[in-house]
Amino acid sequence: MSDVGKTSVPAKISPAGKVMRDGLWYNNPIFVQVLGICSTLAVTNNLRNTLIMVLGVSFATSMGSLTLSALRELIPRKVRMIVQVLVLSFYVIIIDIVLRAYQPAISKQLGPYVGLIITNCILMGRAEAFAASNPPGLAFLDGLANGLGYGWVLLVIAVIREFLGFGSLFGFKLVGDWFTPWTIMVMAPSAFFLVAIALWIANNYKAKVAAAAKPAVSTGAGASAGQGGKQ
Amino acid sequence: MKLNRNSVIYAAVFTFVVCVAFVVILAIANQVTLSRVNANKRLESRTAILKAFGLADSTTPSSEIDSKYTQLVTEKSVGKTTAYTATIDGQTYVAVKLTMPGLWGPITAVLATDPAGTVVRGFEIVDQQETPGLGGRISEPWFSAQFKGKKVRPDGTIAFEQGSGKGNFDPNNGTVDAITGASRTSDFVKALVNRELVLARQIGGTL
Repeated sequence: MSDVGKTSVPAKISPAGKVMRDGLWYNNPIFVQVLGICSTLAVTNNLRNTLIMVLGVSFATSMGSLTLSALRELIPRKVRMIVQVLVLSFYVIIIDIVLRAYQPAISKQLGPYVGLIITNCILMGRAEAFAASNPPGLAFLDGLANGLGYGWVLLVIAVIREFLGFGSLFGFKLVGDWFTPWTIMVMAPSAFFLVAIALWIANNYKAKVAAAAKPAVSTGAGASAGQGGKQ
Repeated sequence: MKLNRNSVIYAAVFTFVVCVAFVVILAIANQVTLSRVNANKRLESRTAILKAFGLADSTTPSSEIDSKYTQLVTEKSVGKTTAYTATIDGQTYVAVKLTMPGLWGPITAVLATDPAGTVVRGFEIVDQQETPGLGGRISEPWFSAQFKGKKVRPDGTIAFEQGSGKGNFDPNNGTVDAITGASRTSDFVKALVNRELVLARQIGGTL
């Protein structure tokens, strides 16, 4: 799933630091795991909605991972997925309830998207891949790092989409009436293009870094590595 | 006694206990915030009615909405619909709040007009689930501003047309600009507006 990333993680780094680095970059949910794409398409035409979505996903993944990790010794293997869905949807509904009561305007704008956080594969992915076999503190950090790793990519895409689609950022108009909004940027297809371009740039960059790092790593192992570095 | 985590009974009991525990917490959270959620809904509806009457705008603080509403607006039940009346500068106006189908979910909107239903006083969307950025633009201020003071056409309707996309603010042509890229939503809003005009005329006739 993440062999590209793992090779580039520097050695001698604390588990917490590694978890953060993995979530934010080396094993980024969007770039490497390619998870959470549905919501990326749905909410990124507006920065404010994107920010709320990111906070919601980060909260649900981190708290869900924390809870599931704390319960991991007790959860019977046969029903672990049922329990995972239950715990994660619990946090998602909490977000929905809080938004409806304290941020009605945002809740109205996001509509069904908040409830759909539960369908975000990142939540189940982290619960199954990490929280099920790691201590609560680390699981919490992993959830948070993955939420934020997903988040910064979404925010970058939202900046592009909202600016070109509405001529504004966070709802503040930045350009005059001469600007003709790009309707395509408001619609889901534009997110497909932008996510694909972002994936391409990120993986291209990663491949370059990995290629540059290889000779350095194997310097001690063989003399041929030195020549490789010069190429 | 050592628990056998692989036994069916343990799995069933564990799942049951976890379900009950989380659902109880959710039920409590829901109950605690219920009055707040209802208050938000009421405020939203009242704000829209006041805006349609032209008695409030986006700068009106939410703390003033309730007092303004109780002072100026009278609720009146006619058949199944609730009508709202307000007297502004000696002239009585009627408003109707109606929910009709939209593209993804119901659209609720308030339309205020004179009792004869010939000139629209104002129009406000209360609730909608249309596509954000496309049909969802019916909630943008320019869209509802088009209806302000709009003279209804002789056939008693307001027409929706493809326009410049900037809004049609001529009060005499009985026509508003539809939303670009959202023909279906525009059709639904058109049906809603014209149904509200019919109801407003019916209710206005009984005043």
